[in-house]
Amino acid sequence: MALAEICKISNASYMRPTAWATDDVNELKSYASNFENPYTLAAPPFANPVENLNKIQANADKTGIKIEFDHGTTTLGFKFKGGVILAVDSRATGGQYIGSQSMKKIVEINDFLLGTLAGGAADCVYWDRVLSKECRLHELRNKERISVAAASKIMANIAHEYKGMGLSMGMMLAGYDKRGPGLYYVDSEGSRTAGNLFSVGSGSIFAYGVLDSGYDYNLEDEAAQELGRRAIYHATHRDAYSGGIIRVYHMTKNGFKVISNEDCEMLHYKYQAEKAAQ
Amino acid sequence: MSFLSIDHFSDYKVHGAQRPDFSPYESNGGSIVAIAGDDFAVIAADTRLSSGYSIHSRTQTKLFQLSPLTVLGSTGCWCDTLSLTSLMRVRMQMYEHTHLRTMTTDAVAQMLSITMYNRRFFPYYVSNILAGIDKNGKGVVFSYDPIGHCENAKCRAGGTAGPLLQPVLDNQIQLKNMNLDEKDKPILTKERAVSVASDTFISAAERDIYTGDFVEIKIITKDGIESMTINLRKD
Amino acid sequence: METLLGIKGRDFVMLAADTTHARSIVVMKHDQNKIHQVSDNLMISTMGESGDTEQFTEFISKNIALYKMRNGYDLSPRSAAHFTRKNLAEYLRSRTPYQVFMFVAGYDAQEGPELVFIDYLANAKALNHGGHGYGSMFTASIFDRYWHPNITQDEAYEVLKKCVQEIQKRLIVNLNNFNVMVVDPNGVKKLDTIMASSLAA
Repeated sequence: MALAEICKISNASYMRPTAWATDDVNELKSYASNFENPYTLAAPPFANPVENLNKIQANADKTGIKIEFDHGTTTLGFKFKGGVILAVDSRATGGQYIGSQSMKKIVEINDFLLGTLAGGAADCVYWDRVLSKECRLHELRNKERISVAAASKIMANIAHEYKGMGLSMGMMLAGYDKRGPGLYYVDSEGSRTAGNLFSVGSGSIFAYGVLDSGYDYNLEDEAAQELGRRAIYHATHRDAYSGGIIRVYHMTKNGFKVISNEDCEMLHYKYQAEKAAQ
Repeated sequence: MSFLSIDHFSDYKVHGAQRPDFSPYESNGGSIVAIAGDDFAVIAADTRLSSGYSIHSRTQTKLFQLSPLTVLGSTGCWCDTLSLTSLMRVRMQMYEHTHLRTMTTDAVAQMLSITMYNRRFFPYYVSNILAGIDKNGKGVVFSYDPIGHCENAKCRAGGTAGPLLQPVLDNQIQLKNMNLDEKDKPILTKERAVSVASDTFISAAERDIYTGDFVEIKIITKDGIESMTINLRKD
Repeated sequence: METLLGIKGRDFVMLAADTTHARSIVVMKHDQNKIHQVSDNLMISTMGESGDTEQFTEFISKNIALYKMRNGYDLSPRSAAHFTRKNLAEYLRSRTPYQVFMFVAGYDAQEGPELVFIDYLANAKALNHGGHGYGSMFTASIFDRYWHPNITQDEAYEVLKKCVQEIQKRLIVNLNNFNVMVVDPNGVKKLDTIMASSLAA
């Protein structure tokens, strides 16, 4: 096969299995074009998908057509002396309806790279999957893990390519590479920026409050994990679109660790009891 | 960008010309419930197919058996259901020819997600629930949003009566907010799963105009799929 | 709500840019650098639609770097500004226009200093002083009042300080810090950041 490839005869028509080359099969393949190349999504039969899908939505009362995508919601991440902390809630809402209370909003791209998701759940999960493929390929080609900067750049380029088409993503990428801990914010506008502390999603304003007032770069591991957990808890308490399980991850130089997955209801009573004891 | 649209150049509008709204979707109704057990999965769907206030069919199955261990339940816009399920069938056939083995339920679940995401900018208007036995022999249920976000769940309700049925499952199957100890929780048997599934449909038929006629239940185990049908209200 | 400022003297150009990165009502960063050094004698400051700014600035600066690799010498600031404008204009008529506002600033031994204002419609104009964004509305008159043809770097820095002071006093949005960079015959140099705290002192 290698020789065939060098001689380029695999491109010759007699090398192709005929059954796979008929028009029918090609048409069929086009219905799942992203199987072979994840970047080629089907083009809609109208211009400007954002506007047109919104029009269909606007008639929802008359037609009963409600295309509501799952949306995610409070996520945060910060760097400190012990690495990077990521904390998220687990509620997915489609409009007013809680579609899930157990969504995984932290995607494990590989042992040294985590992504959080806010915005369209399908968008984030699909492109994170594409990203993890690209990261693995980078590793195989270069015998070296990809840097957080490069990984986030791939994501930003994808987002920028689809800008204006209606993707909805607000993600943080956290990792550990040669330069130490890394934390980037990337969104569907195509913006990408490194930072020490971010929070994304509808509950972010509440999370920021707790986070900013308690943040210190020199926090101990446990205190930092608790700060992330606390910030998300307060966001779930105030923001109706956030809730469920609070997940805390810690990225260190030895890879990521799952610190906790706790129901925010349990945390609520725990924190209430602590307050009462004071 | 939006400022390039013709609507923004009012001087160029032709008087009397109208552009009809493009509305390629219809809601044909129907509901699905799926429950995963230790070594089985139960999936049920009603058989009513309607459009607006008229009923097209009372006997249209919405459960598609994709492999001996995998069943897909799909409702929403019926034409999208048809094109999506036939596309899934073909892709699975191609997989079988290429790899000489049947796709596992986990693989089907992932493929369905990617297939649906391909239409990100013109989504399939469908509510999908996939049930089956996974590669370890355990029962699994996956649910989807219209653009292919996939989640593994223990039990799931979808379709027009989905929001009506899900709380019943949360209570009866997941035993949420009951503060039971692990040892006090009853084991989920096949019989219980089937009876909860049929009960939810009997209730749904009372309150959802798009759910009724019959409920078709498929019980998936490693030994095969058992089918049964139960009567629902026909009004 | 971002702000860019630029001022030109006999043999230098000085740029200032705020450092906030905001998304809806949230300020996500307070130390976002918006002035990018492109080559030894050229810098670009950008603001506008998030995503577009980073992507377009990078596109321009990498192409200018490529030009130097191919030809062995740098594009002059005037040519660089023209190149930037031309690209922006072409993208404007495409399906994917870039919504960016920028200053191209550079110094060339033959052509002298150059400060070019470019907006998202690819209007380009060489100026002695100017600004982008809401903050620039307050500073136009300050530049008119204090700028003169023989302005020195120290004076220019003082003028920028006056501008920042005015923005912080009158603009509803809180823009705390302004990065300042200067390009002159010795190349590009970063000056002290103008901060609310340093102004008070």
